[in-house]
Amino acid sequence: MSALDFDVIVVGGGHAGAEAACAAARLGVRVLMVTSAIETIGQMSCNPAIGGVAKGTLVREVDAFGGIMGRAADRATIQFRMLNRSKGPAVWSPRAQCDRGLYRRAVRTLLEEQDALETVQATVARLEIRGDRVMGVVTQDGRKFRGDSVIITAGTFLRGRIHIGLETRIGAGRAGDAAVVDMAEQLEALGLEVDRFKTGTPPRVDGRSVDFSRLERQDGEGDSFRFSQFVRSARPEQLPCWITWTGEELRGIIEDRLQESALYGGALAGRGPRYCPSIEDKIVKFPNAERHQIFLEPEGLETSELYVNGLSTSLPVDAQIAFLHAVPGLEKARMTRPGYAIEYDYYPPQQLTPWLEVKAVEGLFFAGQINGTTGYEEAAGQGVVAGINAARRHRGEEPIVLGRDAGYIGVLVDDLVTRGVDEPYRLFTSRSEYRLLLRQDNALKRLGPLALELGMLNDEEQRTLERRLEEEEMVLKAAADTSVSPDRVNAYLDTCGESQITETQRVSELIKRPGVHLKDLFRCTGSPMPQAHEESWVSAQVEMKYAGYMAREREAARKLAELTDFHLPADLDYGKIASISTEAREKLGRVRPESLAQAGRIPGVSPSDLQNLVLEVMKLKRNAA
Amino acid sequence: MLSDVIAAVATPAGRSAIAVVRVSGDGAHTVASRVLESFRPEPERRAARSRVVHPATGEVIDEAVYITLHAPRSYTGQDMVEISTHGGVLVPAETLAALVAAGARVATPGEFTRRAVLNGKMDLLQAEAVGDLIDATAPAQRRTALSQLDRGLSLRITKLRSQVLDLEALVSYEIDFPEEDSGPVAPERIDGAVEELCEAFRDLSRTAAEGERLREGALAVIAGWPNAGKSSLFNALVGHERAIVTEVPGTTRDAIEAPVTCGGFPFRLVDTAGLRATEDRVERLGVEVSHRYLDAADVVIFCGECGRRLEPAEQEFLEKLNGRVVMVRTKADISPPPCASESGIRVSAISGEGLPELRTELARFAFATLSGQADLEPLVTRERHRAALQVALEETEAFRDSRIAGLEGAVAAIHLQAAVRALEDIIGVVTADDILDRVFASFCVGK
Repeated sequence: MSALDFDVIVVGGGHAGAEAACAAARLGVRVLMVTSAIETIGQMSCNPAIGGVAKGTLVREVDAFGGIMGRAADRATIQFRMLNRSKGPAVWSPRAQCDRGLYRRAVRTLLEEQDALETVQATVARLEIRGDRVMGVVTQDGRKFRGDSVIITAGTFLRGRIHIGLETRIGAGRAGDAAVVDMAEQLEALGLEVDRFKTGTPPRVDGRSVDFSRLERQDGEGDSFRFSQFVRSARPEQLPCWITWTGEELRGIIEDRLQESALYGGALAGRGPRYCPSIEDKIVKFPNAERHQIFLEPEGLETSELYVNGLSTSLPVDAQIAFLHAVPGLEKARMTRPGYAIEYDYYPPQQLTPWLEVKAVEGLFFAGQINGTTGYEEAAGQGVVAGINAARRHRGEEPIVLGRDAGYIGVLVDDLVTRGVDEPYRLFTSRSEYRLLLRQDNALKRLGPLALELGMLNDEEQRTLERRLEEEEMVLKAAADTSVSPDRVNAYLDTCGESQITETQRVSELIKRPGVHLKDLFRCTGSPMPQAHEESWVSAQVEMKYAGYMAREREAARKLAELTDFHLPADLDYGKIASISTEAREKLGRVRPESLAQAGRIPGVSPSDLQNLVLEVMKLKRNAA
Repeated sequence: MLSDVIAAVATPAGRSAIAVVRVSGDGAHTVASRVLESFRPEPERRAARSRVVHPATGEVIDEAVYITLHAPRSYTGQDMVEISTHGGVLVPAETLAALVAAGARVATPGEFTRRAVLNGKMDLLQAEAVGDLIDATAPAQRRTALSQLDRGLSLRITKLRSQVLDLEALVSYEIDFPEEDSGPVAPERIDGAVEELCEAFRDLSRTAAEGERLREGALAVIAGWPNAGKSSLFNALVGHERAIVTEVPGTTRDAIEAPVTCGGFPFRLVDTAGLRATEDRVERLGVEVSHRYLDAADVVIFCGECGRRLEPAEQEFLEKLNGRVVMVRTKADISPPPCASESGIRVSAISGEGLPELRTELARFAFATLSGQADLEPLVTRERHRAALQVALEETEAFRDSRIAGLEGAVAAIHLQAAVRALEDIIGVVTADDILDRVFASFCVGK
């Protein structure tokens, strides 16, 4: 084995690339990360925050595999909030504003701490492909690297083009970084289907020019939460965010200049995300909304620059300055960087297997925005799946596919490869049919055992996992074994707005009442409190409080598993199955689902198509036998 | 979907000495043991006797013979139980209901055969032949009419599903977009949507009674004192000599059933033994059977001779039927003068006098809504649909109640998901995109 020989090569050092490299290296194979600029490994290209609804849960899932994102975010958090705090632990959503520099450096440090992982700075010119199998990569500086598996995590760099107004078009993967053209052309020449998406980013302003007296200050929460379930790192100094609103004046400016916007002037064709609309979109599509909220988010501890969240735009620079000045508090703001729209290549992900390998090219994996997703967290989740499976492919092992009931990572990948995307894909809790099962507090419990089984956790991490599982059991047992008398608990029940009890009851029963908290109940019992981490308490409480509902979701998951166990042959000729509809023949042929469950989630495939498919497959299997 | 316990009546509805109810799936023996009092899984393939009992009410439904089959040595290849009950309409239906109460699901058409194919007991061609055979027994005209009715129903249910999704979108919006401009959704908006939905479910469920009658035929039971001319009327309506008619009171001892059409609507006409206290053991059994039919009847055709005053016992009997009665005066050909306060349609089985009026009256009575309408409203024609609507209604109400009780939206929304699934059992499949599309259409989201 020469020094240029690796098992897994990761092209790209963003959020997908970092996790892919880390996951593969944790599995014990030799990993090379190739990035165009080592300085920008772990760069947050858009908003300076990690987590949020569903996304925060996903960060903890990545962490359960020993991933980078949660640990890096913990080291860089300058403001933390648990979103949906008032809506119950089932949907608590951690989100951290991060110092971009701290975050970037933390990712780089964590990668460097990883054994069997090397990084080189180079731009990949082309992939080495023989037949339908990838062999390695060749860089623009003429170096050749061999690898059994290659993971492309190119973000928005493939033929990326930035638009500001109608006049300014810059070939770039991100402001200040060159686009990747060679590899994009090679991938297309391989016969892969390619399409264009767009996304946008808002302007940033100099904080020294902002009138904070006109803004509403938003501070973070206390210091207790960490994304990482294995390491508790110290938090840096905390900063507030600031809230302001757009009004009539801004609306007037946007309406006047609308035709100069790259989007509305016709310069840009690709589809953008509906949930992350530009300010132009907001004004045009919701003409009755009087105002729109804007968050000013700190870029970091060592700068006064602020990110103007809510004003993503592709208007010309002078229009951007004009509308910024129409916002209360920003009347005299100096714009440090303009907002822009960026369009880029993505590869419709139905071309991938459920372990993110390109169906047409053995050993080639795609993860992140190249698959039509948006968001750091979505990229990271795919990185984990691609990293694990690239390493397993090298070792000749069976692929690992995460179920939809196992985690948001499973939901995300299944949605991509089964349903495809028609706008940049972002996670929401509504994407999952198991909102109650997929929580931030039980991510380690859900996925840690798999990570351990795959060999991704070290001894200390294994002990942390075991302790976490034991603690929850201990709390559940204590709740079932401990009773509380009316005279001890009735005063507390009064404060919760719950009716009093007349006879002694078990804690595990009383906890089912909506307003009641587990720790408070234990305090009432007078028995010693079980010693456990916060996650274990929350998890145990949710398990008891919603036992009936959880059982319903688990039953649904069990039924789905039955269909997942029904495998469809990879070489099935759907075109020859006369008993299914034309649309189903076409869609099934395109996706080539692994299982009956996956087939059932393809839009356009009806229940009767599924039944006939089952009959056909059974017949084939028997004829073959 | 492929292994849960299903049950169905395997023999055609109607008059027969026995009927067979089949149960199949993982746990079929357990389900059967809750319904068959003296059930034993062993020995297999041997007939055994047991009382059939409803697991919830404890009511004895029948005395039956059953056979257990063990996977894979059965029609479907799964554990099965075949129960031979007494025939007719009621006993098999009640047995099926008892099995459902014990945990079985009513099988969809062809499901036993599909499982047989899945488990390699039968190949596809055989299965298709079985399907053709079953389908061929239904008149083509009726099938077409039913499919048209069902089309209207699926459009209506698609709309209701869409309304539930709208409601779920409101809940999802609050969870997925906690920091948006518009702020939280006003509770009244959710309350209003819930009430509207529940009302729509109730409206549609109300059509179920007539819808099922349209599919199965309305149960019209001829009743009256012995020798009132019930069997003559039965034969006249059916159009041929089906029941034995004599002048000896108490001739009809078993219930006899035949399909007839009145005013274009299907009926299952039943002739029953005359209602009177009797010492004859066989006749007494017949009277008991009559009472069971009377309880289930959609309409009772009560026969009394022209010119005879009804006895107090007859009056009392009529009152117990709660208005489910069409009064008929028989033997009009003898043409005696009407008695005081005589009411009812004068009918003669011999001359045919009054029969057209009686048919019209029966149609109007059993199909009140349908016979009065030119354009058909969507109609729930299947028990499966009615049950699904009931689930959708209950889940939507549970959503409302759990919110009132202080349950978080994310948890309460599980009821809405269940309501959507129930509706989809009737029409098709859902995607999470549906919810998000609604959110994006209604709210300006995203920073």
